[in-house]
Amino acid sequence: MPLLNFQQTKKLLLKYKIPIYQTEIFNSEKKAEKFVKKIGYPVVLKIFSLTILHKTDMGGVKMNIKNNKELKKAFFDLIKIKRIEGILVQKMGAGKEIVLGMKRDFQFGPVLMFGLGGIFVEALKDVSFRICPVSKKEAIKMIKEIKGYSILKGQRGEKPLAIEKLAPLITKLSNLSLKEKNVKEIDLNPLIINEKGVWAADFKFLV
Amino acid sequence: MKNLEKIFNPKTIAIIGASPKKNSVGWGLVKNILEGKDSRKFFYVNPFEKEIGGIKCFSKIGDISQEIDLAVIAVRAKIVPQIVEQCCRKKVGGIIIISSGFAEIGKEGEILQDKIIKLVKSAKIPLIGPNCLGIIRPSIKLNVSFAPAFPKPGNIAFISQSGALIDSIIDKSLSENYGFSFLISYGNEADLTLSDFLLFVNKDRQTKVITVYLEGLKGGRNFMKVAKKISKIKPIVVLKAGRTEMGKKAVFTHTASLAGNYQIYQALFKQTGIIGVETIEELFDIAKVLAWQPKCKNGIGIITNGGGCGVLMADYCQELGVNLVKLDSKTIQKLKDSKIMHPAFSRNNPLDIVGDALSKDYQIAIEALLKQKNIYGLLIIQTLQIMTEVEKNAKIIVEAKRKWPEKPIVCCFLGGEMTKKGVEILEKNKIPNYPDLKRAAKAMKVLIYE
Repeated sequence: MPLLNFQQTKKLLLKYKIPIYQTEIFNSEKKAEKFVKKIGYPVVLKIFSLTILHKTDMGGVKMNIKNNKELKKAFFDLIKIKRIEGILVQKMGAGKEIVLGMKRDFQFGPVLMFGLGGIFVEALKDVSFRICPVSKKEAIKMIKEIKGYSILKGQRGEKPLAIEKLAPLITKLSNLSLKEKNVKEIDLNPLIINEKGVWAADFKFLV
Repeated sequence: MKNLEKIFNPKTIAIIGASPKKNSVGWGLVKNILEGKDSRKFFYVNPFEKEIGGIKCFSKIGDISQEIDLAVIAVRAKIVPQIVEQCCRKKVGGIIIISSGFAEIGKEGEILQDKIIKLVKSAKIPLIGPNCLGIIRPSIKLNVSFAPAFPKPGNIAFISQSGALIDSIIDKSLSENYGFSFLISYGNEADLTLSDFLLFVNKDRQTKVITVYLEGLKGGRNFMKVAKKISKIKPIVVLKAGRTEMGKKAVFTHTASLAGNYQIYQALFKQTGIIGVETIEELFDIAKVLAWQPKCKNGIGIITNGGGCGVLMADYCQELGVNLVKLDSKTIQKLKDSKIMHPAFSRNNPLDIVGDALSKDYQIAIEALLKQKNIYGLLIIQTLQIMTEVEKNAKIIVEAKRKWPEKPIVCCFLGGEMTKKGVEILEKNKIPNYPDLKRAAKAMKVLIYE
């Protein structure tokens, strides 16, 4: 299954009002600099490639870039990598990581998966599933079902996260999955959640 | 909804492949059909036999002059299409194909199955199977199967993708106190699918709960819609096989269906309100309680004559999310005022009425707890001491149930030989008993509204 290109991916996310961190794709460092002037530091730089699925494995991600000098260096490092479409420049967010994905099942059609990011998904397999359409009510159950829900709800002394924004996000992804039949798989990983809201930091669509 | 009346309530049946050969499937069908000989007419079809047990054999279905509601086919797979064609010409009301050797064996069988599908679809005749055990409806003495015994009538419908499982469950049920409204072995689902049977038994008044053994679905989206609708009216309990990779492989060689991702099935169960279980024991533990007892709000009382059992039960209840209600001071006062309770009774929920409790103690405890408004159901434990009055206790519980029909009672008479008679009294009166505390707690859990 091929990866959908960046512009089309972004267009679909915006069409279904799925919030993402401000992200643009560049082939010129000058233009990237101009964009950062608008959104402000710190930023993240990532390669975008239709053939490289795991960009971190090959050093394709540069985090926490704080000034023009760092931006320039990171940009020229990344542009050397072969088989890339361009460099993504993205506002760097802070918060807890979440994953949300979609796969099509041969029997039931689109199925959504939800979980906390990183070790929770990979090592503990602490995820929940629902078959689309997923209503808001069902989405809330899906969120509460994971064992890590207490982490999401926040521990004592932490600022409460904007978990009320998660269920609407899930219903939007359900809606997208049902309508955009050519999209075979979606990976929003990670989504960043903090006290203000939730945004997709990385997004992949397979078609 | 498809009209399956002629299959499940036939006035006339033709057995094609009826046989006098002992231990053949055709012989099994003949033997079982006799069960309902006073309720309907039946005909044997076999060109190689003149008669079986004194009943004439026709050489083909077309030779029978009466209309045929249900044709049952148990002949070699290869000639099944040609027999089906004859059945279509005869305009039978429905067909069951017992024979195997179709999609489950691979490409060659699939071609045969496709031929059959084409025939019945164009003739608009509903078909069960192929590759199945058949159907049984105990209440009208209908046994169109080669099952080894005839089950008791009751309120549980069992729809199974495995025929052999039905056979053993029938045998087991004979020594239990529950019975069946329907047993349906549906095989390869060439025409009628699990969803069709769900819709059918949902309309049946006798059926209070629907149990299913499932490997893989045909038409997942449709099933989802149907199950969601029905589970609001009648509980559906599903034992899903093929949860692991090894299991999945076994499913494919068994029924040629794909087991699918179990996590997705779990999501399906949650979204449709299906109760998913993991063992045969659980399937009927839960079916029994749902068939016999009403649902209730989450607020339960425990009565026990053994402190330890009360503690265990409280543990299981908390783990399962069953709320134990605090006893009112009024309730405790009533128990004290009775002057019968052992002075050391627990004054708590679980209410421990102490080991030497007699039936009178149980009676007072049950009455007091059921009278407390926010206790919506009871778990009653009985351990066995030398003075324990097993049968009398059971009768008292039956009595209490009559007085408070809206409050479910689930029992755990722990023991074996010496509790048997009590259990029988309870279950004859539709009060379920479990020989294990956790099983009783789980049964209570499914009665609680979400």
